[in-house]
Amino acid sequence: MRFLNALRDGVGFDILLVGAALLFLVALAGLPLVYNVLMSFQQVDMFSLGSLFRPFVGFDNYVAVVRQPEFWLVTRNTLIFVFGSMTGQFVLGFALALFFAQNFPGASTIRGLFLVSWVMPGLVVGGIWSLILAGDYGVLNVILRGLGIIQSNVFWKSDPAFSIWAVIIANIWLGLAFNMLLLSVGLAAIPRDLYEAAALDGANAFQRFWTITLPMMRPTIGAVLSLGLIGTLQQFDLFPALTEGGPANTSNVAGFWSWQLSFQLYDFAKGATVSVMMFLLVLFASVIYVRSTRHEVRG
Amino acid sequence: MSRIYTPWFLLAVALGLAAIYLFPLYWMYITSLKSGSEIFANPPTFWPTSANIGVFGDVWARRTMPTYLWNSVVIAGGVTAITVVLGTGCAYVLARYRNVWIDVGLFCVLMLQVLPASVMVTPLFVGFNQIGLLNYPRTAVILAAAAKAMPFFVVLVRATFMSVPRELEESALVDGNSRVGAFFSIVLPLARNGILVCAILTFMSAFGEYIYSKSIIQSPVLQPASVGLSGFLGPNSTDWNSIMAYSAIYVTPILVVFVILQRRIVAGLTSGALK
Repeated sequence: MRFLNALRDGVGFDILLVGAALLFLVALAGLPLVYNVLMSFQQVDMFSLGSLFRPFVGFDNYVAVVRQPEFWLVTRNTLIFVFGSMTGQFVLGFALALFFAQNFPGASTIRGLFLVSWVMPGLVVGGIWSLILAGDYGVLNVILRGLGIIQSNVFWKSDPAFSIWAVIIANIWLGLAFNMLLLSVGLAAIPRDLYEAAALDGANAFQRFWTITLPMMRPTIGAVLSLGLIGTLQQFDLFPALTEGGPANTSNVAGFWSWQLSFQLYDFAKGATVSVMMFLLVLFASVIYVRSTRHEVRG
Repeated sequence: MSRIYTPWFLLAVALGLAAIYLFPLYWMYITSLKSGSEIFANPPTFWPTSANIGVFGDVWARRTMPTYLWNSVVIAGGVTAITVVLGTGCAYVLARYRNVWIDVGLFCVLMLQVLPASVMVTPLFVGFNQIGLLNYPRTAVILAAAAKAMPFFVVLVRATFMSVPRELEESALVDGNSRVGAFFSIVLPLARNGILVCAILTFMSAFGEYIYSKSIIQSPVLQPASVGLSGFLGPNSTDWNSIMAYSAIYVTPILVVFVILQRRIVAGLTSGALK
C-alpha cells in the first residue's frame, strides 16, 4: 500500500517514469555497445554466431583490420569526409544565418523553408544528388561548364579523385540547414545594444563581426561544430545511394565499411572492431559537445 | 531613398538563395516527368517538353509501393509510439528536478544521442539473432530505431516541459491532486503542442529509416519504402524517371506536412536543440 502511494504521489512516480525509459535505452543501446566491444575480441563466424561465448582472440581482430589494404584509405577518407562536410556546412550555414539575421519581410519563413532538407530521407537525397552529379548527363556539370568553372565533365561518382567529394557535396546540402538554424538562434541571442554601441564608436561591419559576433557566439559555435561532427559520423544513407564506397574504396568511410564487413562479407568480428574504433572517435566528439552544452545541462 | 528599397532587395536575394538551395527538389519532380531520352539530353531541359504523368501509376504498381509504404508507416508508427510513451515521462522528470542524478541521467541520454546507427547495427543484429527477434523483423527494427530516436526526443521535449510554470503544478498538488493526476491533467495538456511537434519529427525521421531495415528485414513484403528504393538505386542507376517518381511519391507527404507545420517545427527545434 505504501508502495502504491509512493507510486501515485511521491518520488516513486518519477523513478517509474525515468526508469522505464532508461531501462529501454540500456537494453537497446547500452548492452549492444558492450556486446560490440566483446565481439571485437572474439572469433565470430557463421557457426559461432548464435553463441555468446566464442573463442577469445585478444587483439587479433584489431591487427587484422589495420592490416587490411584499405584501412588507411578508409581512415583518410573518413577524415576528409568529416572535415570537408563540417567546414562546408558550417561556413555556408554561418553565412546564411548572418544573411537571414538581416531585417527584411519574410526572413524567418524563407529560412524555415531551407529546413526541408533536414526532414528528407537520406536515401532519397542521395538518389537526387546521384542524378545531379552524374558524369555525362548530370546537371551540375552543365551548370559549372556554363559558368566557365570547368572545361570538361567531371565524373563525380566514378573518378577516384572526386568520389568522396560527391558524397561530401550531398552531405553539405543535407546538413547545411540545421547548422544555419542553430547559428541563427545564437545570433538572435546577442543583445542589439552591443552593436549600436559599437556603431557609435565607429566600428565597421567587419570589426563588429570580429569583436562582437564571434566572441558572443563561442558557445553556440562549439555546440554546432560538435553536433556537425557527430552528425557527419552518423551519415550512412548517402553512401549506398551515391557510390557504395567505390570506386575501389576511394569514397568509403568507417561507418559504411563497418556495415559492409558485417552485412556484405558476414565478417561480424571485423565489423564490430571497426565500429568500436569509430565509437572512440564519436566519444571524443561528444565530450566536446557535452562540455559546450554544459550551461544548457545545468539549466 | 535607397534605404527604402534595401529590405526588398534582401528579400529578392533570399528568394534566389532559397531557389538555389531547393533546386534538387525541383529537379526530382521535373525528372520524374521527363521521358527516358530527355533525361540524357545534352544540354538538359529545365522544363519537360512532354510531361509523362503515367510514370507515377506505373511505378506505384510495378514497384509494389503500397506494401512498402504501409511497412514504412507501421515502422514509423511503432517507433513514434514507443518514443512518445517512454520519452515523455523521462523528459518530464529530467526537466522537473535539478541535482547530480538528473545531470548524470541527462549526460547518459546525450551520450546515447551520438551513437551512429552504423556502430549499433552489428551488435544489434547479432544480439537480435541470439534472442530470436529476427523472426519478427519489423518489431526488431522498431525497437532499434526507437532507441535511436528517443534521446533526441527527450532533449527537445525536456525544453518544452521546462517552459511549463512549476507554480501551476504545485497549486494543483495543493488543491488535492495526486502527482499522477497533476501530471495528466495539468502538465501534459500544457506541453501538448511541443510533444506533438516532436512526435511528428520522430515519425518523419523514422519514415525515412534505412540502415536498420536494410540489415534486419530480409523479406521484401516486410521492407519499408527506403529499402524498396535502394533495390533499384545505386552508383550505376539509369532508370531515373522511375527512381525520381518513386522518390516523389515517397517524400511528398513528408514535405506537405513539413510546409504546413513549418513554423511550429522550427520553434520547437530552436527552443530545444540549443539554448
